[in-house]
Amino acid sequence: MANCQETLNEMYAYLDAELATERATEIIGHLKVCTDCQSAYEFHAEFKTIIKAKAQNDELSEGFLDRLRECFGDDALNDA
Amino acid sequence: MTTREDFTHDAMQHAPQLFSTAMRMARNRSDAEDLVQETFIKAWRSFATYQQGTNLRAWLFRIMTNTYINKYNAQQRKPTETELDDVEELFLYKRLGAVDQSQLSQSAEDQMLSLFTDDEVKKALEELPDQFRIPVLMSDVEGFSYKEIAEILEIPLGTVMSRLHRGRKSMQKMLYEYAKERGLINEALLSQGDDE
Repeated sequence: MANCQETLNEMYAYLDAELATERATEIIGHLKVCTDCQSAYEFHAEFKTIIKAKAQNDELSEGFLDRLRECFGDDALNDA
Repeated sequence: MTTREDFTHDAMQHAPQLFSTAMRMARNRSDAEDLVQETFIKAWRSFATYQQGTNLRAWLFRIMTNTYINKYNAQQRKPTETELDDVEELFLYKRLGAVDQSQLSQSAEDQMLSLFTDDEVKKALEELPDQFRIPVLMSDVEGFSYKEIAEILEIPLGTVMSRLHRGRKSMQKMLYEYAKERGLINEALLSQGDDE
């Protein structure tokens, strides 16, 4: 099982699903028994979710998608 | 074999996400729209080199990131050590107790996160220097893996991780400052908590 320091050091890698299965299991093992680390983990998981939700909702201008479709025309190729 | 029609259709599916990321990169609508248009024009011209099975989404984001870096002379590959203040670990988490309880009614944890408006989150991202902002956008907003981000930005994996880490901490600090400016933080509460 991982200790507190290791868990905090690797928290982002775990959150980002970047840890090997075995290591992730060790981190999960620690989170199950350590309420301090569990609480920090939950906060950062929530934080990541919030960044995604709040930074990705830009409305497209009217007509923008149509202008984008024009990028895929013969004209665009001829300009090359 | 991917036809040009399929390719156009598939690429267009990614337009909204590309646009949001372009907004965070270029920081204004007109430049962001140009950036996505240029990305699609370049993608279309490179269709011949696009191979079926390639991750189209990562490929488009790579084209857009390169276009942004070249066009705006983004400081992508410069040394980064002095460009962000070092922020302590768990910066925001350690300050949960400073949220003025009278301002909101939920549990402290939810409060801190629900405090931030969409505009504040966007502003915090946009204020990060390019070399930190792009990895944070690619990971937290777009959900790319470290390996994909390393390929999109053409930087080593370890650099992706350290920039992500520093960028995220710095964002937490900025968001905390915004909450403070809005009068939502009472730091006296924090020192009380320490005494207990």
